[in-house]
Amino acid sequence: MRVCRRTVVLWLVSALTVGCGAATTEPRRVVTLVTHSSPGGGSDVFLREMIPHLTRVIGGTFIVQNIQGGSGAKAMAAVAHARPEGALFYATTPTFIYTSLLSDPSARYTDLEPVVNLFFDPEVLYTAADSTFATLADVLAHARTGRGRWGAANPASLERQVMERLKQAAGVSPAITTFEGGGDMLINVLNHTLDMGVGELQEIRAQLDAGRLRLLGVVGDDRLPQFPDVPTVKEQGIDLAVRKFRGLAGPKGLPADVIAAWEAAIPKLLDDPAYRKLYTDNSLQPGFMPHAEYVTFMREFGAETEAFLKQSGVIQ
Amino acid sequence: MDPATLLAIVPAAFGGVIWGIVGGALPGISPSITMALLLPLTYGMDPTAAIVMLAGTYVGAEYGGSIPAILIRTPGTNAAAATVVDGYAMKEQGRAGEALGISLYSGFIGGLFGLGVVVLLAEPLSTVALAFTPQAYFALGVLGLSVIASLARESLLKGLMAGVLGLMIATIGTDPVTGLNRFTFGSAELLSGIPPLLVMVGLFAVGELLAQSGETGWGQTVAERARIRFPGPAVWRRIALPQAIGSVIGAFEGMMPGGGGAVSSFLAYNEARRWSRRKDEFGRGSPEGIAAPEAANNTVACTSLVPILGLGIPSSNSSAVLLGGFLLHGLIPGPMLFVSHSDVVTGLFAGLLAANIAMVAVGYVMLGPCIWLVSRPRPYLMAFIYALVVSGVYAIETSLFQVAVALAFGVVGYALRYFDVPLLPMVLGVILGFMVESNYRRALVLSGGDHLTFLQDPVSAGFLIVAALFLLGSAARHLSRASRRLHEGAAV
Repeated sequence: MRVCRRTVVLWLVSALTVGCGAATTEPRRVVTLVTHSSPGGGSDVFLREMIPHLTRVIGGTFIVQNIQGGSGAKAMAAVAHARPEGALFYATTPTFIYTSLLSDPSARYTDLEPVVNLFFDPEVLYTAADSTFATLADVLAHARTGRGRWGAANPASLERQVMERLKQAAGVSPAITTFEGGGDMLINVLNHTLDMGVGELQEIRAQLDAGRLRLLGVVGDDRLPQFPDVPTVKEQGIDLAVRKFRGLAGPKGLPADVIAAWEAAIPKLLDDPAYRKLYTDNSLQPGFMPHAEYVTFMREFGAETEAFLKQSGVIQ
Repeated sequence: MDPATLLAIVPAAFGGVIWGIVGGALPGISPSITMALLLPLTYGMDPTAAIVMLAGTYVGAEYGGSIPAILIRTPGTNAAAATVVDGYAMKEQGRAGEALGISLYSGFIGGLFGLGVVVLLAEPLSTVALAFTPQAYFALGVLGLSVIASLARESLLKGLMAGVLGLMIATIGTDPVTGLNRFTFGSAELLSGIPPLLVMVGLFAVGELLAQSGETGWGQTVAERARIRFPGPAVWRRIALPQAIGSVIGAFEGMMPGGGGAVSSFLAYNEARRWSRRKDEFGRGSPEGIAAPEAANNTVACTSLVPILGLGIPSSNSSAVLLGGFLLHGLIPGPMLFVSHSDVVTGLFAGLLAANIAMVAVGYVMLGPCIWLVSRPRPYLMAFIYALVVSGVYAIETSLFQVAVALAFGVVGYALRYFDVPLLPMVLGVILGFMVESNYRRALVLSGGDHLTFLQDPVSAGFLIVAALFLLGSAARHLSRASRRLHEGAAV
């Protein structure tokens, strides 16, 4: 019996050593992309749709791993504690910055290395097509009477930040209500409970195509190619633009060649005609940022968000 | 529809239903998680078949949730919580097979009714969702909470205490209006609150195991007929009314975003009891007490497609996963889907019909083994349930924290049993607390703090009046019973 057990142990040890040897000597061919969203959630769909094109354009094998829990805290920890060898990356969205600031996760967004950015989700202001508001100016004028009602999808979110900042910039005082997700809020715009809502273009696409919603402005730097007639908020005289990013981050200490490989691959991917059609249909705006720029962007985004959360009293 | 599509849809429906029943029956795994686990496997499939498979999973899971509710007193899904009362009571009387048959048959009736509603009226009915303002949701939540009055059978005070405990648990997490953290103690795990399903698994499964561990007489097992039994003609007639009540309530619930099936099954249970000729049997193994909630939650599994198809808005976590399935196959659900991809819509309807039929067939086959399993000697059974619960909860997010939460609620459940406090009011409080609070505060933000807004909104006013009538009714009942007791006491 004892002999038998020792044999098993020896066998296990040798198997492990062989396994480790294989892992270190052979080049890594499988790259795991981690998302905090559940299967079918925003980032999950984004990654899974991207992978076939990524494989076709730059080669290699990519898999998606859903590490849910703690609003992104677990996914962040998994990536931050991984070995920096270019085998594991995290799909970034503003969520990982909000979770880092709102709670005390074991790894924060500052413990990850931003690699490159791929896209922006355009944020738009909208109202019901049969509402009395034709332009953003109308909504602001109504808000000046003190009876304005605006909605944002979640209490601690970029969308909420947009509405609070718009309120300050325009010097009006509407009631700003938050909901549990975009769909819930969309209903309240459609039934005229709210004058105006803010959200990702993707979320409201179905209603927009059916002609039940009217766009009032783009909360970004440029107009959207799909809706060339909709002006940006900046064009309407209010200095407000946000960039809801989608990119990749990895553990700290990534080798320079891994980062360079992504910097070379992503522009190629974004130029690919088949993938371009897919992401344009999904209302994503290409927004490639190389590593150095992405690091600065993330730092600024984090600082801005932290300032907003402190100012609105959410955190101390 | 061409035969090739049909050939893809029917197996997809069967596969989805089987997977759904298994996922729904595992305590701790909700229908939405069951669907989410399946989603990655559908990427390579034909779009219609993939969506049918996901919808079939939802149908199967809503039925599957009632299996552990009846057999081991642990609802597998939120919506099966109301089935626990009479389902487990019947099991205790050795009528598990009958209870499961009633659940299956009622789910089938509810599913068919819901499907009919969706097929005929999906587009026009999607506007029903638009009548729901924050005020209306608040009032709906209050109506749901008023059911506590009938769930607290022996002592209204204990029922209220349990309900308030539930409401308190629902305040953990991110504040719905300001975004502040409440009672999270810096833990990212608590940011999104404590899932009601964990509370239920703890209160029912773990609590029950703890309570039974302290009992004597482990050697005996209730003689069980290890066969599913479909209701005979007499029972059939008897459960027709509760099924109708469940189906209608479920149909409305499904159309409202944010509802989910749990509220409708509690309301259905409550209404079925009110309109029943044998009220006294409720809580002691009444077939009607299974028929109503199970018809309701399977109706919801179908009618929750109304807001998805008509508006492109998911009405629950489960339909959010379904929405993800649509998007992954390049389909944008919403008013235009009927025009642009009518083939997918017809395929989905055909698939749902197949799924409801599959549910009966699969349910019939797999119930025998399930009943056999739970009539094993108690030590084995209890070890098995422990393993099932812990691994199920752990598997959701591979989180030991959630396992700890479930075990902690097990201790709470044990304490509540000890003091004879009913568990369902607490579950109801956890399920509805967030909905009631967030919409109450949202409505007040919108009205500038004016409470009259709840009466000015017609839907809200209607719900509140019904809730008030209901509360007054049960208060009167309690009072008259108390005074009768007083008189009897005086006579002695």
